[in-house]
Amino acid sequence: MGGRGSSVKIAIWAALGIFVVYPLGRLLSSVIIGDSGPSLEPFVSALSQGGTWEALFNSMTLATAVATSGTALGFLFAFGSSRMALPGAVKKSMTAITVLPLVSPPFTTAIALTLTLGPGGTVLKLLSLPDIDIYGFTGTLLAELLTYFPLAYLTLRGVMEGSSNDLEEGAMDLGATRWQAFKTVTLPLSIPGLANSFLVLFGLSLADFASPMVMGGHRFPVLTTEAYLRITGMYDLEGGAALALILVAPALAVYFLQKHWTKRSFVTVTGRNRGPAAFIMGPVGRWSVLLPIGIVSAFILYLYGIIFAGSFVEAWGLDHSLTLENYRYAFTSGMRSIIDTLLLASVSTVIGTLAALAVAFSVVDGRSPWTEFTSLLNSVLPGTVVGIAYVSAFNSGPLVLTGTMTVMVALCVFRYGAPAVRLMMASMAQIDRSIEEAAMDLGASRARAFRDVVIPLIMPSILGGARAIFAVSMTAVSALIFLVSVRWNLLTVRILECITELMFSQAAALSVVLIVLVFAFSALLDRLARRLSH
Amino acid sequence: MAVSLQLSKIAKTFVKDNVPFHAVKELDLDVKGGELVTFLGPSGCGKTTTLRMVAGFETPTSGRILIDGHDVTDVMVNKRHIGFVFQNYALFPHMTVGDNVAYGLRMRNESAKDIKTKVAQGLEMVGLSQVEKRYPNQLSGGEQQRVALARVLVMRPKVLLMDEPLSNLDAKLRIHMRTEIRRIQKQLDITCLYVTHDQKEALTMADRIMVMNKGQVEQIGTPFQIYTAPESTFVADFIGQANILEGTLDDLDGLTSRISTGGSNLSARLLEGKSYRKGEKVSLVLRPETLSLSQGGGLLGGTVIQVVFSGDRMEYTLRLGDGQSLLAMENFYPGIKVWQEGDSVDLSFDPSLVVALP
Repeated sequence: MGGRGSSVKIAIWAALGIFVVYPLGRLLSSVIIGDSGPSLEPFVSALSQGGTWEALFNSMTLATAVATSGTALGFLFAFGSSRMALPGAVKKSMTAITVLPLVSPPFTTAIALTLTLGPGGTVLKLLSLPDIDIYGFTGTLLAELLTYFPLAYLTLRGVMEGSSNDLEEGAMDLGATRWQAFKTVTLPLSIPGLANSFLVLFGLSLADFASPMVMGGHRFPVLTTEAYLRITGMYDLEGGAALALILVAPALAVYFLQKHWTKRSFVTVTGRNRGPAAFIMGPVGRWSVLLPIGIVSAFILYLYGIIFAGSFVEAWGLDHSLTLENYRYAFTSGMRSIIDTLLLASVSTVIGTLAALAVAFSVVDGRSPWTEFTSLLNSVLPGTVVGIAYVSAFNSGPLVLTGTMTVMVALCVFRYGAPAVRLMMASMAQIDRSIEEAAMDLGASRARAFRDVVIPLIMPSILGGARAIFAVSMTAVSALIFLVSVRWNLLTVRILECITELMFSQAAALSVVLIVLVFAFSALLDRLARRLSH
Repeated sequence: MAVSLQLSKIAKTFVKDNVPFHAVKELDLDVKGGELVTFLGPSGCGKTTTLRMVAGFETPTSGRILIDGHDVTDVMVNKRHIGFVFQNYALFPHMTVGDNVAYGLRMRNESAKDIKTKVAQGLEMVGLSQVEKRYPNQLSGGEQQRVALARVLVMRPKVLLMDEPLSNLDAKLRIHMRTEIRRIQKQLDITCLYVTHDQKEALTMADRIMVMNKGQVEQIGTPFQIYTAPESTFVADFIGQANILEGTLDDLDGLTSRISTGGSNLSARLLEGKSYRKGEKVSLVLRPETLSLSQGGGLLGGTVIQVVFSGDRMEYTLRLGDGQSLLAMENFYPGIKVWQEGDSVDLSFDPSLVVALP
């Protein structure tokens, strides 16, 4: 490796310097350096402006509420799938349904909620209820809860399936009742998972831009939306940057706490779950878990159905006659944004995947904690922060890239490449060294062995990484919204514009197009990965 | 013509957290062309590290490796012409059996026609002609093992290295594969090093056994030598079952001796090259299966304290006159005298099969 390895490392560091360290440095300096040298004046003045404290309070309240309710709901789902004897088809559809919000554009749930519970919404009509006020805290909470609880479910399911049912059976064998077994064994063993999931959801809610933008509006400002409005509405870059900086501290705290927690997890030491649950529950316990799961699942499905149905009617809630007009709109007026989005996502995917492979290969042995931290930084920080940092850095100064494809691609690569790196590194670590050695023993050079053996074996994770980068690049909004320009327009931004102009049916049609594109590409890569996995 | 292999004072030291670990300490070994030498020892004794140095996966900290008289210490693994069979087979899971076997030949840029013939021959040699199109995960463990063997054999390596190749197979298959590997190795006349921790495997397959412990060679010799004349109590204990009795060397003359142990006096073999001194303590190695029990006569006397029937034989634990205990085994067949706990018995054996170690 020698020289080649170190030149890869230098390239990685240069790229991280330009697209991670430099923008964040510019962001910081724009806030703490005033007209006359270093001062905290701009920061303090931004904080003292009217809306700041309200936004901070709203952000914290919302994040706490989302993290608590999302973790509880996720636990219910995880408990159902790991500890209850449910038919395989039920478990599969639980997973499928919960994956929907994870792979959809960020405001899908928000739009669907507007169509169902908003003014003239279908659920209200169905139950002949008067209009309720969905906009504000309640609506934002509901939208974020449905969007993010699947992550809590996946986290907790992993933790709970890692510990064996034997433990609960053991507790009951020793005389515990079902409830005692749950309280003394299941719950304590889940605490690291619960804490982890709380942190993840707290961080995601804090960083979320789309849901509060659609559901909160002016009535419920949070830090991310407030920062966006100050920059785009009032052209106050320093003010927006100061607000963004407030978000950095909690985001980093969540990141380090989460690292700390996952290291301390003690759950995985016991044997594997034998599969179909043995945790015997009474009918009351059974239904108190299954009923909420059923209702939530049905509601999610209903929401997605509404988006689909809404895209085929004239005007939702007013005129339900069928029409293809919305799709005509999507493919004419929206065509530019569809093409631009596809282009951005494809270029980002190719570059991001190759870069991730290079990083994974060069750090898989002898990684430095600083490289790792720096490479993760953009993905740990809220999109709003990164977006504003990019604006601060590339609007002026030595590198002017604003409005170019380059800067948008760079943002996608450095913000969304990290999970791909982790995926590839994990699968490289799984390859037994002897397989590579066998190839070399049979006469292959190191490079040849890497090409013939390592690449094909990690191909599924390369494709998985590509899929992840593509999906987020297609649907991301919080950071990219600061970088769109006259030259490049994006689907997500377009959808947001439709919503603010109350063109919900058109927004639904564009969302359907986006979802279909993401799913089609994911399915394609999935099939490829499955054909290649052994 | 099979090639020779020399290891000359090779050593390997790993450094972890600034603490050096001497995995192999200055080891010498001469292997003749066509010979099969097994490396036998407990885990962590350095046998696999030694093998990996011969292969070129590890670089020795010091010492030289010579194949056919040529120094290959600094030659890259892919240029050494060595065949390595891994414990976990290391088959390429994304290639068919045929492609696995063809891999090395392709690296050598052989013609498609040659590759086809050699793959077919290789698979036929290990009795797997019918699975060429299948993937490794569609084969049983034993079949995977044989594919791994075929994959290196088609390369006609100068030296065949095997790292515990049978340890993942079940007992019956293991016994079958021992003879199979030995047959092929002899048929192709390949010099072979074979790492194992299974003493039965070492005894049945090897021309010579190198017993290792803590990075050093304990003894090198034919299976017969190792079994009948172990040069240390470690070897005696590791190979087969052994009673090791404490005794005192009362008298010696050349290689014959008189030793008091277990409340009796007996004579035992002394080993050449070891230094014995009159009046000193010695360890006596008695194999349980060389002992027979009777009442009256015999060289040692004791009381039966435990009786175990294991199908083909009886195992008796005895307490000797001076309190030392000892295991004796007798083949079982209907009609043989079976002793009971508490019986006083005498032990007779051939003194030339008893080795005394200083």
